[in-house]
Amino acid sequence: MDLIVPDLGEVEEVTLLRWLKGEGEEVEVGEAVAEVEADKAVFVIESPAAGILRSRRPEGSRVRPGEAIAQVLPG
Amino acid sequence: MVLVRLGRAPYGPVLELQRRLHSLRRERKTPDFLLSLEHEPVITLGRVGRNEDLLLSQDELRRMGVEIYTVERGGAATYHGPGQLVLYPILDLRGLGLGVREYVRQLEEVMIRTGKALAVELFRRPGYPGAWHRKGKVGFIGVYVRGWVTFHGLALNVDLRPNGFAWIVPCGAPGLPVVSLAELSPDGCTLAEVEGLAHSAFSAVFGVELVEISPREVWAWLNRIG
Repeated sequence: MDLIVPDLGEVEEVTLLRWLKGEGEEVEVGEAVAEVEADKAVFVIESPAAGILRSRRPEGSRVRPGEAIAQVLPG
Repeated sequence: MVLVRLGRAPYGPVLELQRRLHSLRRERKTPDFLLSLEHEPVITLGRVGRNEDLLLSQDELRRMGVEIYTVERGGAATYHGPGQLVLYPILDLRGLGLGVREYVRQLEEVMIRTGKALAVELFRRPGYPGAWHRKGKVGFIGVYVRGWVTFHGLALNVDLRPNGFAWIVPCGAPGLPVVSLAELSPDGCTLAEVEGLAHSAFSAVFGVELVEISPREVWAWLNRIG
């Protein structure tokens, strides 16, 4: 399952600030996995599913709402 | 929305209170809160703050009685201290139908309207969130959102003494001029006056009614729910 940057409302692009979980690490549903920043607001992205975090985009990437920043694969 | 005026308070316990209320709000165990206060002198580094943003050593700052915290909010280095109004809304953005950018715009609007009530013309600068006067930055924003519930918030300079922004690179922008409402308003102003004006502006901008309870009632209630 894709880990998606949600629609933050009128935000075209955000910075992927930092990962709170490592590549290959196990994550739970609703667990905080990443932080993105737009306009001095840090927004926490929570995992939509339980699984293993893979294919993380690098910290500092500019990403658009709706875009995937990683995948959560069945563990 | 519940308003709590905390008066002058040290940073640590208020941060703890915010985190507690934020977590309870996410569990839908509390209504929205607005904490209103001024801090004892403190420098905080947000997610993009760096140690190089401190112009004095941490030891020197601590000797002067200035605390230093690294926190989760957006933004770089900022200063809080006596003579600055701080508002921390702990609110569910979905409840008000707000996106993150709109929320930041509304916090700016609260400061702009507060300035207007004092005949001080403040404005936005695209790409540089906050409240600006032609002489410099007056109001600051740093927000954290998890589960669509906010904490941290805004800080508005009323009559900063000392002006601790001199000890840091504010917002990661070297040489950024920082000013206070009292030096801009034709009749001057006090923190108590600005606090009242900012609450009215907040209520109008967000379309919420503020119902005040005392800090003692908040603590008693937090103790009850364990």
